[in-house]
Amino acid sequence: MEPVGDKIRVYSGANTRLMREKVIGSLGPKQILYRLATLAAVFAVWQLAANHYHSEFLMPSPLKTIVTLTSVVHDPDVIKNLLLTLKRVLTGFLYAMLIGIPLGFLMGYSRVAMHLFDPLIDSLRQIPIMAWVPLTIVWFGLGDGPTVFLIAFAGVFPIIMNTIAGVQKISQDYYNAARSMGAGPWSIFAHIIVPASLPDILIGGRLAIGLGWMSVI
Amino acid sequence: MELKIENVSKAFINDGNNHIVLGDVSFTVDEGQFVTLLGPSGCGKTTLLTIIAGFQSVSGGRVLLNGRQVTRPGPDRGFVFQNYALFPWMTVRDNILYPMKMSGVPAQEREQRLQELLAMAQLEGKEKLYPHQLSGGMKQRIAFIRALAGQPEVLLMDEPLGAVDFQMRQILQEELEALWLKDKTTVVMVTHDVDEAIYLSDRIIVMSAREGKILEDMPVELPRPRNRKNPKYVRSKEHLMDVLKVAINKQPEQTEGARKLQLACRKTASQ
Repeated sequence: MEPVGDKIRVYSGANTRLMREKVIGSLGPKQILYRLATLAAVFAVWQLAANHYHSEFLMPSPLKTIVTLTSVVHDPDVIKNLLLTLKRVLTGFLYAMLIGIPLGFLMGYSRVAMHLFDPLIDSLRQIPIMAWVPLTIVWFGLGDGPTVFLIAFAGVFPIIMNTIAGVQKISQDYYNAARSMGAGPWSIFAHIIVPASLPDILIGGRLAIGLGWMSVI
Repeated sequence: MELKIENVSKAFINDGNNHIVLGDVSFTVDEGQFVTLLGPSGCGKTTLLTIIAGFQSVSGGRVLLNGRQVTRPGPDRGFVFQNYALFPWMTVRDNILYPMKMSGVPAQEREQRLQELLAMAQLEGKEKLYPHQLSGGMKQRIAFIRALAGQPEVLLMDEPLGAVDFQMRQILQEELEALWLKDKTTVVMVTHDVDEAIYLSDRIIVMSAREGKILEDMPVELPRPRNRKNPKYVRSKEHLMDVLKVAINKQPEQTEGARKLQLACRKTASQ
């Protein structure tokens, strides 16, 4: 039997702050200062580069960019499109979760399911996302369809992969413990597999959202 | 309650070799006994315990609990894991309630039993904490009362104090004894620690590293709570140490004839 060790897996609402702190450390005044320092350094390099090129076309100054940004944000057209994009990303993400999580559970838990789906998933996920663009336009026409499909497609793989990893690393002791307390298959799924793999699923979800934004264009 | 181990054997196949862990083990555990399986590591004592729990199948023989053959894990056998295996995503309260929910105890009774168990383990007020917020000793007590919560017929413990240091171990042994005396559920415990075996058990079964053969089946008749300085306690300990030395020696006792034959073979081979 492998040791369970002191793996801390806390995710309940009251402890999200704790989990965040475990990943990035606490966020005090000192830490905020560090973050501001990086930001300031980026702007400084940017300003130096702008001075060097001295061309608004090649390298506009940070100040100029920020002024333009604020005026653009007030444009109702931009806001409308931003909301449209947000809607597409969230819809695509939802599809990715709906397909990826059940598939991940299945493949993580059952060797048979793993062998059935793994060849398909491992070959599909190698295809560059851009290669799908012409096909999706043929399939879904112009409009929301292709974008939502691509966002879902890009996001589904990290969700599947992380869910599989999350399920596979659950210690055998937890299954044995639950069974020796009289748990049936449904309870083992709901009370052991889901909570034990949730932290990994959340990581998959975060990756998926990020990839989703990148696939919008 | 009657737990019968009948001619149990277990073999694993490693690289095509049949590796026999348990040869042919038989014994019976009576109601209310605290029985310890003592032996060097690799003697198959944990394998035997997980077979009783139903986590593994037998290669031969059978395990009977109240006359019914054991084939899978069930709530009639509580299990305390070496690493406690408390569910880290549940609070102490939910961990202890879980076995009761699984066996369909009504909500009111659950609450009452939870309070009883917490009081028994002196853990009142810790219900809302998560396992990682507790000390090793508390985790061990929770693992113990969680296993009791489902009201098993027999409690199986796999080196329940294996993960703690020497001094803590003695304190926890005393705590465990006190807890057990309040409940008196039948226990089968596995350990390699002679002192722990004598301190806690009513009966000690010593297993050998070779096929888990039972070398000695010894009752411990000392008044509880036990005094580690009692001369009888010390004598039992020394005796068991000697038996364990035999247990660790994996070599089978060769007969004179077999040894001569072997020597003769070696001679002809070298010529």
